[in-house]
Amino acid sequence: MDLAYYPGCSLYQSAKLYNHQIKLVLGMLDLKLKELEDWSCCGATSAGKINDFMAVALPARNIGIAESTGLSELVIPCSACYSRTMVAQKQLQDFPLLKNEINFELSKKTTGNIKVSSALDVLRREIKGSRFKSIPLQKLEGYSPACYYGCMNTRFPYDVPISDNVENPQAMETVLEATGVKAVDWNYKTLCCGASSVIYNPEGALDLMAKIMRDAVSRDADCFVVNCPMCQMNMESQQDNFCEKHDIKERLPVYFITELIGMAFGLSKEELQPGDDLFINGMDWTDLCGDSV
Amino acid sequence: MASEPFEYTPQAADVFTQEVMARSGQNLTACYQCKRCASGCPVAEDTDMVTPNRLIRMVVLGDIENALTNKLTWKCLFCHTCGTRCPNNIKTGRIADTLKKMALDAGIDPQQPEYKNFHRAFFNYSLRWGRINEIGMMGEFQLRNMWDHLKKGNYVAILSEIMSKSTLAWKMFKQKRLHLSFHSSKGRDEISRLYKKSSGRKWI
Repeated sequence: MDLAYYPGCSLYQSAKLYNHQIKLVLGMLDLKLKELEDWSCCGATSAGKINDFMAVALPARNIGIAESTGLSELVIPCSACYSRTMVAQKQLQDFPLLKNEINFELSKKTTGNIKVSSALDVLRREIKGSRFKSIPLQKLEGYSPACYYGCMNTRFPYDVPISDNVENPQAMETVLEATGVKAVDWNYKTLCCGASSVIYNPEGALDLMAKIMRDAVSRDADCFVVNCPMCQMNMESQQDNFCEKHDIKERLPVYFITELIGMAFGLSKEELQPGDDLFINGMDWTDLCGDSV
Repeated sequence: MASEPFEYTPQAADVFTQEVMARSGQNLTACYQCKRCASGCPVAEDTDMVTPNRLIRMVVLGDIENALTNKLTWKCLFCHTCGTRCPNNIKTGRIADTLKKMALDAGIDPQQPEYKNFHRAFFNYSLRWGRINEIGMMGEFQLRNMWDHLKKGNYVAILSEIMSKSTLAWKMFKQKRLHLSFHSSKGRDEISRLYKKSSGRKWI
């Protein structure tokens, strides 16, 4: 099946690995991601801080392009892009005058009706399908990940349909369980990591991340699993800083959900992390998959 | 901090509340101070006791100065925990966001000086090129910070800005997280036409 695909800016840059892996994993489930032609930035949280109109208009352009492909569903892996697009779409539906005003300038008009899903929604749906059941799964033993969702999967600045439990989301746990990994039960899976405030209010953001880390460690988690490029970046690149500040000795690797699923699907390290320009350190492949890798 | 008792002026309070309600799209008068928002707020322990419910009360009472300058308004992370827990569906995150905008409109300096520069750099970059390139965007952000320091004649701050940001950049480069490729979108003329249309609008 073909799905429209909006990667967003960070999946072309700091979260390049996520872009690569999501295509690979969904490809194995017979889903082909058709990247939107000439997509543009969704404005993330910054557009709404300055200009409310552009916060709707920027995602509206991408929704218009997605609708023009004729495909029925738009998949967005990045949580911030997903949140912005969901909110903008609902606002386009709720304010027809605003929609007309925006459409007047767009070459690909939007109706605001395409189905928008996060990559996680798609994964959770596909594990029930026959394609998933036909893939021979590798056993990932000795893994207790803490699934960290952050804010943008379940909490929105506008009333939109929410695809998971707001306080205790289960999508990643469900997907991991289907691949044979039992995630730990913990408290801080939806606490904010500070997001971009790590740039302009670092102390506050580090305190929040330390809370998340401390709870994950006390529950004996041995890694984080995330689906948001911002959370991944913060929890990994700031980990030494917040752990040193709060006397936490442990360090946990932070993986995208696709990394674990890819391994369970039997993909090799070279397939999941090709080339030199991709990151993530810490995953000990020989430990996980024995000699087969 | 001892301060003058606040004098309630119904008319001023009403005008202010109406503007915040229109710009944030939230019905502030529905708040009955149950404090579910307060117990969930991740930054509330660090805001001098200003919790989301108290922020709403400040606005409704027309305490304009405090509403625009308290710590919660500036520390709010827009995480929306308050909004999802509110029994009356008031998204206080959007109120804090609105108050930040109103404060900037009124010429009040943000409590975290880099807040304005960061979002401005991000937004402008997305308008200019249609897509964000992290190096370019962070470069613009840094130049804006340095320009602010220069205007104040604070040369030491310029130097520490260069040092701290280049340390971060080098760290990210070593982690293979900085990419030098450049991306843009051809649709940026559409975007700039939309931007022209938005000028002067205070809300959507």
